[in-house]
Amino acid sequence: MIRRRLRGSAVAAAFALVLSAGSATACERLQDWAGARKIAGKTWTVWWLSEPAAIPVGAHFSVRFRLCGPPARQVRLGGWMPDHRHGMNYRPGVALAGRRGVAEGLLFHMPGRWQLILEIAGAAGREKLTAEAVLE
Amino acid sequence: MIRIVRFFQIAFCMQFILTALPVSAVDFTAAEKRKILRHGPWPLPATPDPSNRVSGNPAAVAFGRVLFFDTRLSTSGSVSCATCHRPDAGWTDGRARSRGQRAVDRNALSLFNLRFNRWFGWDGAQDSLWAQNLRPLLDRREMGIGAAGAARLVRADRSLSCHYRLVFGTAPGADDDRVFVDLGKALAAFLETLVTGRTPFDDFRDALAGNDAAGRARYPAAAKRGLRLFVGRGNCAFCHFGPAFTNGEFADAGVPHFAGPGRADPGRFGGIRKLRKSPYTLLGRFNDDPTRSTAVKTRHVRLAHSNFGEFRVPGLRNAALTGPYMHAGSLKTLADTIRHYSTLDEERLHAGGERILRRLDLSGREQADLVAFLDTLTEAESGPKVEVKSEDLFCR
Ligand code: HEC
Ligand code: HEC
Ligand SMILES: [Cu+2]
Repeated sequence: MIRRRLRGSAVAAAFALVLSAGSATACERLQDWAGARKIAGKTWTVWWLSEPAAIPVGAHFSVRFRLCGPPARQVRLGGWMPDHRHGMNYRPGVALAGRRGVAEGLLFHMPGRWQLILEIAGAAGREKLTAEAVLE
Repeated sequence: MIRIVRFFQIAFCMQFILTALPVSAVDFTAAEKRKILRHGPWPLPATPDPSNRVSGNPAAVAFGRVLFFDTRLSTSGSVSCATCHRPDAGWTDGRARSRGQRAVDRNALSLFNLRFNRWFGWDGAQDSLWAQNLRPLLDRREMGIGAAGAARLVRADRSLSCHYRLVFGTAPGADDDRVFVDLGKALAAFLETLVTGRTPFDDFRDALAGNDAAGRARYPAAAKRGLRLFVGRGNCAFCHFGPAFTNGEFADAGVPHFAGPGRADPGRFGGIRKLRKSPYTLLGRFNDDPTRSTAVKTRHVRLAHSNFGEFRVPGLRNAALTGPYMHAGSLKTLADTIRHYSTLDEERLHAGGERILRRLDLSGREQADLVAFLDTLTEAESGPKVEVKSEDLFCR
């Protein structure tokens, strides 16, 4: 569903990209993305939002994100519980259209400290960004 | 002399009070309290299963109940679902490994609270309750009648085809697989009604939430100590999480998984592979929900080597009624399961890398406390006796 909708808007997004000369202004505007959280890396900065807003324990959720920085070819999402040394039992599907994306099919199956991991790859290189979430 | 005795008496009393203190006062910390509250409220709200168009339909419940007790659904004519899932035995058969027409490798799961499951079977090879219900009908060791045999029976039998018509609005058609899956859906409608009732734990949990001191005091001290271990040092609540006491996922709890001499039960690893080969999943043509809203799990489930030897985390409500325990019934009593966690072989367990379970080395009293706690997850009153109503036997 979402994948299809995104593919439809991919062309529009690509246009928007060309039009916005530098990404800096677009990135500043992201400050106003209500509820979104920021992870700043060397090459990319990501703003993300989970749906539902509070990540549930043991139920599927999705993540919307927007990238600041050079174009990305691929974004992958994952989860990791450092204290227990295990990840998720699901592989999320990521639909990327320009600098916007949606990941579906995430599930954090335990309470405790989780890392949400984004792996971004593009002509500018690869980067792994991590956000922390403590689930109760 | 008297003074010395008095001193010992006082010392003894002091010690008694000190050890008893964290218990009888049992003031759970704020963090403990938050963890405990996550195991309720109960019962959970129930919504119909969108993948099953007769979920919640009373006629389907009646039809499912009839099918559940019908031995004609086995090739030998002597085995019904109730052979291995006895209503008077916590919906299990009391055996370590179950036996239908022949013996199977696994312990019969009980049938409580199924409507809240994400996956079905010890290995989660099924992604819906209706698909799970088809499995024994396909397995020759259990009932083995198969899709064609089951469809033929329903078409030929006047009462069964009458039920079918009442539920699905048409006579059973020529597509064997459709009729077969519909039987699974009627069975699911019936099994969805088996939800466990309120327990002493639920009363305590709600008293904790509502700051009701009298209600809190009614819960036995041993159960409180066991509960503290359960959400604390025992790490139990990482897996046995939430109102149903399961996170619905899979883990290696350190239980040996030999299915027989030289044969291992692959557990979740085999379950995901079976799921991917099955025509009866939420991604297939039998899902009644055009939006496939519940198929996210099936689309995204990941097969990993670490799934080998993992089994579904069982819910613990009414666990006291459903022994023997674990996927092959290797442990007889709840006390045995606690002893298992207390004396785990960490070397073997951590080979896969996951670190949650550890050898707990619990004292005798701590073990008894955990059992006392698990006992309070048993419903106070069992629901009305489940049996086929005579008018349902002769649908015309
Ligand atoms: C031979 C004994 C046997 C018979 C007969 C049998 N079952 Fe089972 N049942 C089992 C066993 C064993 C399991 C666990 C299977 C596994 O994990 O591989 C099970 C699992 C289940 C589950 C999954 C429960 C859960 O929590 O995931 C359901 C539902 C179920 N059976 C329903 C039925 C229905 C409906 C029938 C009749 C059509 C039936 N069973 C007939 C032994 C039996
Ligand atoms: C890492 C996840 C995990 C943790 C932590 C865990 N369990 Fe389990 N539990 C399981 C799994 C998985 C099974 C089924 C194992 C099997 O059959 O191989 C199970 C089975 C059980 C059973 C048997 C239920 C039945 O119906 O067969 C009981 C009782 C139980 N656990 C209690 C506990 C207690 C008490 C603790 C804490 C001391 C605990 N568990 C910690 C995952 C876990
Ligand atoms: Cu974990």
